[in-house]
Amino acid sequence: MSVGREGWLDRAAHVRDAESQASWERALVAQAQAGNEDAFETLVRWHQDRAYGVALRMTGHTEDAKDVVQDALVYAWESLPGFRGESRVGTWLLRIVINRCHNLRRAARPTVALPVDDASEVASVPGTDWQVVTKHHYDATVRAIAALPFDQRAVLVLRTFDGCTHAEIGRILGITEGTAKVRLHRARQTLDEQLREWR
Amino acid sequence: MSDSSLPCGVAYDDLLTQVADGAAPPDSAHQRTCPYCRALLAELETLWRPVQRLAAEDVRAPSTLLSAVMARVSELSRHPWHAVITTELGETRIAARVIAAVARLAAVEVPSVTLALGGGRTSRDSSAAEVGRAQAASTVGVAGSHVVVDVAIAVEMGASIHTVADQVRDHLTRRVADQVGLTPAEVNVDIVDVSPAAT
Repeated sequence: MSVGREGWLDRAAHVRDAESQASWERALVAQAQAGNEDAFETLVRWHQDRAYGVALRMTGHTEDAKDVVQDALVYAWESLPGFRGESRVGTWLLRIVINRCHNLRRAARPTVALPVDDASEVASVPGTDWQVVTKHHYDATVRAIAALPFDQRAVLVLRTFDGCTHAEIGRILGITEGTAKVRLHRARQTLDEQLREWR
Repeated sequence: MSDSSLPCGVAYDDLLTQVADGAAPPDSAHQRTCPYCRALLAELETLWRPVQRLAAEDVRAPSTLLSAVMARVSELSRHPWHAVITTELGETRIAARVIAAVARLAAVEVPSVTLALGGGRTSRDSSAAEVGRAQAASTVGVAGSHVVVDVAIAVEMGASIHTVADQVRDHLTRRVADQVGLTPAEVNVDIVDVSPAAT
């Protein structure tokens, strides 16, 4: 794909279908590897929501998730010379994000995880018992997921919140598809036991 | 609980997977009529509802993330020809040609390696001026504290080429890390010549 014409970045920014995106992605990576910051910015725009979504569920905390994704994307820029395109950029980035989550030093945070939807406002307004229970379940679930052992948490988050197949999980985490299935099974058992305790 | 089966013979884990994955039942006719399966499915759906609500959220990266990442990328890009090691007291910038020289000299420390130079001569019998021109034999991609090194070598006749290439890769990685303090993201070894064994 030729990317030399003016305005190609604008066109790339509006690509929606998967096949075109893969083609544009290769061109953007090549440009970014040559030092084109605009090309890298487009790649970040494409992948930042997915990366943040995974980091949020991995860490259970919005600020941790933001730090993780920011560091991961800067690391990705630094590591672009070594990226050979053997996997999709999204897969590569998620691998970096997951590794960053693993390395995250969990500083003592006085607050519980912050949800990102309207449920976060429930506690601040007079609510019904149902709302309070919903909010309690929401926070408890976020905490329960973040408290899972790392290996289990990674596969559960990728499957449940990112919609990855077992094969995709394997590629991201560098494990076999079979191992991904086993870990997912264990993660669900662990989480199920935790959810039962909070009934 | 997770190791048990229902009186009808269906495994608890199978129903847990069905609910957690939102998958279709493997035996819908049985599930429609089996009171044990229906009761447990209802219970699991209630338990896992908070997880499913969490998964249904439309999570977006914070609006400040992109600008924060690109600010750091721009900072790194100001030194495209240097590797940058950041300390509390300031930055150490190492020119890419220095890393290339370290890589080249490290490569010839490996037994059975002579570095390919112009005119078919090797670094072992080159003048200082020719060694200076030899930088073309190794190229370096630099991004922040990460480097990608491409090194071209000649191997002595009789030596196992792939073994020597692996030794070069390992030795060069250690050398660059120990001597320059950088992280080699990739070391590519091109075998460009075979020379008579040293006497």
